[in-house]
Amino acid sequence: MAEPLVRMERISKSYGSVQALKDVTFTVAEREIVGLLGDNGAGKSTLIKILSGAVPASSGEIWFRGRKLEIRGTQDAIAAGIETIYQDSALVPQLSIARNLFLGREPLTGPAFLNRMDKATMNRVAGELLARVGITKRIPPTTPISSLSGGERQSVAIARAMYFDSDLIILDEPTNNLGVAETQGVLRFVRNARDSGHSCIFIAHNIHHVFQVVDRIVVLRRGEVVADAIDPKRTSIEEVERVITGLDEEAAA
Amino acid sequence: MSVRIGVEATGGEAAGPAPPSLLRRLTARPELGPFLLLVAELAVFGAINPQFLSPQNIGNVLTFTVELGLIALPMTLLMTSGEFDLSVGSVFGFSAVLMWTLFNTEVLSLPAAFLVALLVAAAIGLANGLFVTKLKIPSFLVTLGMLLVVRGTALFITDGFPQRTWKSSGEWIATVLVGDFYIGPLRVYMSLFWFVLAALLLGYVLTQTKAGNWIQASGGNPAAARARGVDVERTKIALFMLTSVMAALAGIISSIRTSAANPNSGMGYELEVIAMVVIGGTALMGGRGTIIGTVLGVFILRTMRNGIVLIGVPGLAYNIFIGAIILGMMSLHSWLDRRHQAGG
Ligand SMILES: Nc1ncnc2c1ncn2[C@@H]1O[C@H](COP(=O)(O)OP(=O)(O)OP(=O)(O)O)[C@@H](O)[C@H]1O
Ligand SMILES: [Mg+2]
Repeated sequence: MAEPLVRMERISKSYGSVQALKDVTFTVAEREIVGLLGDNGAGKSTLIKILSGAVPASSGEIWFRGRKLEIRGTQDAIAAGIETIYQDSALVPQLSIARNLFLGREPLTGPAFLNRMDKATMNRVAGELLARVGITKRIPPTTPISSLSGGERQSVAIARAMYFDSDLIILDEPTNNLGVAETQGVLRFVRNARDSGHSCIFIAHNIHHVFQVVDRIVVLRRGEVVADAIDPKRTSIEEVERVITGLDEEAAA
Repeated sequence: MSVRIGVEATGGEAAGPAPPSLLRRLTARPELGPFLLLVAELAVFGAINPQFLSPQNIGNVLTFTVELGLIALPMTLLMTSGEFDLSVGSVFGFSAVLMWTLFNTEVLSLPAAFLVALLVAAAIGLANGLFVTKLKIPSFLVTLGMLLVVRGTALFITDGFPQRTWKSSGEWIATVLVGDFYIGPLRVYMSLFWFVLAALLLGYVLTQTKAGNWIQASGGNPAAARARGVDVERTKIALFMLTSVMAALAGIISSIRTSAANPNSGMGYELEVIAMVVIGGTALMGGRGTIIGTVLGVFILRTMRNGIVLIGVPGLAYNIFIGAIILGMMSLHSWLDRRHQAGG
């Protein structure tokens, strides 16, 4: 098989005395959607936070397109083409939709020393994106995030990932607290992302959602990888549930 | 009065994609309440005592108002980023003492001493910023500690005595900072010009620039801002430095104007400045700030202090009015905020 897009190698992470990850090796291929499953506290969020630069690993290496990547902060990950949609939706409630979409990468206009944001472009692009992620109600891009519903906020985060066209899009429980239509929108987005050449890491507690979109399932249990090549087309949901909870090992013992 | 504002503000929110009318946009702004309060103050004081609107009194009020305003403007940005600075009053007193001590003992020329005082203020701001961002100590504690250190230093190096500043006449830097001139019968100081310039500049930074977006994001949701690659720590440190430098500038301007550098001056200014900022509509906890509101807040408090004396209320009652204004305006802002959140 060809070089994977991302290879996280022997990643360990401790928070004080809590060992959140032990020697985890995890890969994502080009145009692959990987479902990352595991119980509460298994280490899923920790693993993807290391990849997106939000927390440093205690040890281990990250390879991206065959090159070793030093991720010292979120900027490094974003610059490499890794976009993350966090579980605790990472938007600034007081800022408008447009300002949130472009936060950290605001387009400028005029001489550089004026540091002037190109608000016209920001608002126009934001308006177009909102329509594309299926926010049906017409919401002006200058609306503050604080007056949006949970689903609308999630859609804004997704719109951001779409716009910046990152190679790898990480979604940490993007379907939490979403209605049926909004959930379908997220799943459709993930499928479209693969069709247009992106890779995804998809974390969700609802295994049905995971089964609908992913190519491969990786399971973490108490910080360790216990399965890394489950094919959802040949495996039943019940079998995966047993791997997640550890009942499979008890049965074998 | 406040009820009507709120209802119309929600109307503005509900207006949807069509650009809201000018009137609606106006009523949705947090600055409207402070603006009406200022107008009411001017009208009431002016009606009771015509002396209040005389050029001489206006000149008097402006003089000190803009000196506090020079601190309130950067404080607005700092508070928008989610921090505040209690050491500004002590830096106000200390910087003037430092400059005049260096000058009077003939260690440095006045412009050089001025520059050194600003650099020291920047270092104080840097220290505040590093303690807050690197050691994660709340700015309340850091800047309270800094207040004591800086005030103590000012008292220590002067033995508690004011520094004489009588040699400042004829120094170009004194003229540039606080030279006076007349507009008709109105006597104004150069500091008014610096205040207006700072207000325009910082208003532009906060609303129009990428830096302004970062400031608001740092205060609104630092974790989200960091996840987007915003350097929250650096943004806050820069604002602590700016606030400190502006407090030093205000203190120096004030000392040149009054020909006195007292190690005790600026005492209590920190709270008055923070009050001015929050009255104007900037959120104490960060995320939202308005320079226009702060300018209004600065004038509301200083006009009140001047006005109640002129209409014959004993000056000692001043704090009652200030307290009432703070409570009233905070209720209005929090109420508008809730309408805002629920209304979308
Ligand atoms: N900042 C932190 N400080 C200390 N411990 C932490 C921190 N973040 C996570 N942990 C611990 O690390 C372990 C893994 O947490 P993580 O958030 O990665 O789990 P998760 O698989 O994402 O769980 P969930 O499904 O509930 O989101 C847990 O035991 C958690 O308590
Ligand atoms: Mg998690």
